[in-house]
Amino acid sequence: MKLSWGSEEEAFRSEIASFLDEHTPEQLREGRDWIGEEADEVPQWARDWQALLFDSGWMIPGYPPELGGRNATPLQTLVYQEELAARGVPRSVHFGGYGIVGPSLLEFGDETQRQLVPAAIRGDTVWCVGMSEPDAGSDLGSLATRADLDGDSFVVNGQKVWTSYAEWAEKCFLYVRTDPTAAKHKGISVLILDMDTPGVEIRPLRHITGNAEFAEVFLVDAVVPRSNLVGELNNGWRITMGSLAHERGGLWLEGVGYAQRALDGLVDLARDRGLDSDPVVRRTLGELYEEVRSIRALGYKGFASFAQGSSAPEHSYMKLAASELRQRLNEFGMDLQGAYATVTDPTLAAQGGRFQAAWQMSLAATIGGGTSEIQRNIVATRVLGLPRG
Amino acid sequence: MVDFALTDEQELLRDTARSLFTKECPPALLRDAFYDVTPEGPAAARSFYATHLREWAALGDGPLVDLALFMQESGAVLAPGPLWVSSSWALPLLRAADHPDADAVADGSLTATVAVADAAGRWEPGDHDESWFVPHLEEVDRVVVVRSGPSIVVVDAAEVVGAPIEALDRTRPLHRIATASGPGTAITEVAFRDATDRATVALSAELVGVGRWLQDTTLSYVNERVQFAKPVGSFQGLQWKLVDASLHQERAAAAVAYAAMCVDADDADRASSVHVAKAAAGGAARHWSRTGLQAHGGIGYTWEHDLHLRLRRAYGGDHLLGDADWHRDQLAALLFD
Ligand SMILES: Cc1cc2nc3c(=O)[nH]c(=O)nc-3n(C[C@H](O)[C@H](O)[C@H](O)COP(=O)(O)OP(=O)(O)OC[C@H]3O[C@@H](n4cnc5c(N)ncnc54)[C@H](O)[C@@H]3O)c2cc1C
Repeated sequence: MKLSWGSEEEAFRSEIASFLDEHTPEQLREGRDWIGEEADEVPQWARDWQALLFDSGWMIPGYPPELGGRNATPLQTLVYQEELAARGVPRSVHFGGYGIVGPSLLEFGDETQRQLVPAAIRGDTVWCVGMSEPDAGSDLGSLATRADLDGDSFVVNGQKVWTSYAEWAEKCFLYVRTDPTAAKHKGISVLILDMDTPGVEIRPLRHITGNAEFAEVFLVDAVVPRSNLVGELNNGWRITMGSLAHERGGLWLEGVGYAQRALDGLVDLARDRGLDSDPVVRRTLGELYEEVRSIRALGYKGFASFAQGSSAPEHSYMKLAASELRQRLNEFGMDLQGAYATVTDPTLAAQGGRFQAAWQMSLAATIGGGTSEIQRNIVATRVLGLPRG
Repeated sequence: MVDFALTDEQELLRDTARSLFTKECPPALLRDAFYDVTPEGPAAARSFYATHLREWAALGDGPLVDLALFMQESGAVLAPGPLWVSSSWALPLLRAADHPDADAVADGSLTATVAVADAAGRWEPGDHDESWFVPHLEEVDRVVVVRSGPSIVVVDAAEVVGAPIEALDRTRPLHRIATASGPGTAITEVAFRDATDRATVALSAELVGVGRWLQDTTLSYVNERVQFAKPVGSFQGLQWKLVDASLHQERAAAAVAYAAMCVDADDADRASSVHVAKAAAGGAARHWSRTGLQAHGGIGYTWEHDLHLRLRRAYGGDHLLGDADWHRDQLAALLFD
């Protein structure tokens, strides 16, 4: 056991740091962890930013240059994600394409489908991910959207819900049931759906924040060519599990980075309000500091064993811990403002209203990508080895 | 002796209030008025007090226990309008000053709000140039400005220069206003405290109503919502969270009823009971907001569901008239000083 970043990582860190200092668009400089996006289409600055990252090999550094990377080592990737998270700078304003679809297509797609990957990662094609349905949330395996093979096409009928970025998306990574007679997890497939296919209808839904960032997607006799099937027919559950792993994989660093940023903001806030010698405030901040740093250490530990090829049960804790911590940090930031706790006017609330905004957004963190209860079930059975209830 | 049982009259009051709100205050009213704003929505919400609440205004002159019962029901549906501030807060201040408008506020033909807090959010009489966090300014006829002394100055709301304070809960709009000068009418320190206690307990009762709606709505949702072929309410991981939230809720409801009785009886426990009530009620409503949202999953995070309206009121209400931390500090002071 030892702690040291090699000179290679240090060089890598300063390279990404100066890239970010130089190129981060104005719109992201405040820290995107508390600013929602509401626009009819992906804003041009966001498209430019993602494309610039891709072209500079900074989109997914571990990938080769043609996929927006620079063949970075896992440790370099960790350093890279830390630098982004420390600034609260996202790579993209839509996570699905580079975070879920790209990696899944590389793993499961055929030659033609893999050609979609560069544009997905560069953000030239905007993707949404259609997993959840009205009756299939935590129990994703019970999804019921039907795709019936009819000659060379599937005919798709059903409904998706909470589909992030559906309004922006040109394509959807769509989870469907292709064999209704098979056992629950055996009859699922994944299709690539063009969002402008006749029979696809989108109804935007508002987040609690008021922004319409996700949607219901209705599918009525939508025809999808058979060649858009990803992987084998009825073998989609594996892709599902892979997608969720991709979604959960690198997020811990972002979670820890955002937590650290919120903590830094809390320290400034306590000082500005003259509460920096209040023993209760100091003790609470000390406790939060302990949590942020110990969770980060746990993430490093998981990363280290993962990089050495062992399994990393630590990772199962990370989403759970980071998401719940983020809620408490931001809520404390509201409480520290006394009567201004719920004031959202950016000129009146501390630090432009970041805590009020980030708190509202953080309420999704314990639901999306698998709820905290589901995460606890996973830890209970897979990490602690407890019997299933 | 303590008796939490409602009298026949109190039961009738509660049931009447409940059926009034069920009938006249459908969820769409608020949604239309404040969130998915429709052209008729704001007008319907605005006339709600005049049409349905004015005959209840006199509750502000009666036992706090009765007012608290009514406020619980109005909190559960988030009834629009200034009843809380007008009856539970402005009215006792006007009575204390023997003000000629008091009778009209009590019969509901006039409404009034209260301006106390300074820019730092201290709910104490003072001579600050600006009063902050003044509720329902645009829905009332009068503003009762509390100044040092204490004394009150009553002004026409129409003449007040104010700016809205954008906050989480749009259904209880807040303003900052230029504080009126001019001669005030002195009231006693005791009368000021009494009015603050009444307003605090009434607000706590409203928060109990908010928590009760969250509890009822969440429990019925987890009974109906099926995942993994079972109602999600059957999963112990969720049950225990719901139990904890309900414990907060139950002790808050009891604490608020107890505080109302203490104020009515001017009991020795009065001061502590009011702080306990507000801290517990704010905490419970917040706790249920978080737990309820979590138990609803995705739908709880949207405007498709009315849960967010309660979450806003819970957090907004907790921070009016002193947040839970402030009330706990007062309790600590009672313990030590
Ligand atoms: C901001 C946001 C963005 C999203 N984006 C997308 C997207 O792009 N694509 C997509 O497909 N989906 C998306 N989702 C949906 C998300 O994946 C689901 O909301 C989530 O999986 C939970 O499902 P549900 O909402 O149906 O809740 P439910 O599964 O109905 O859960 C209700 C409650 O029951 C609990 N529960 C359920 N099962 C158990 C159990 N076995 N044990 C204990 N408790 C249990 C849950 O934890 C929760 O508290 C998004 C959600 C949010 C909030």
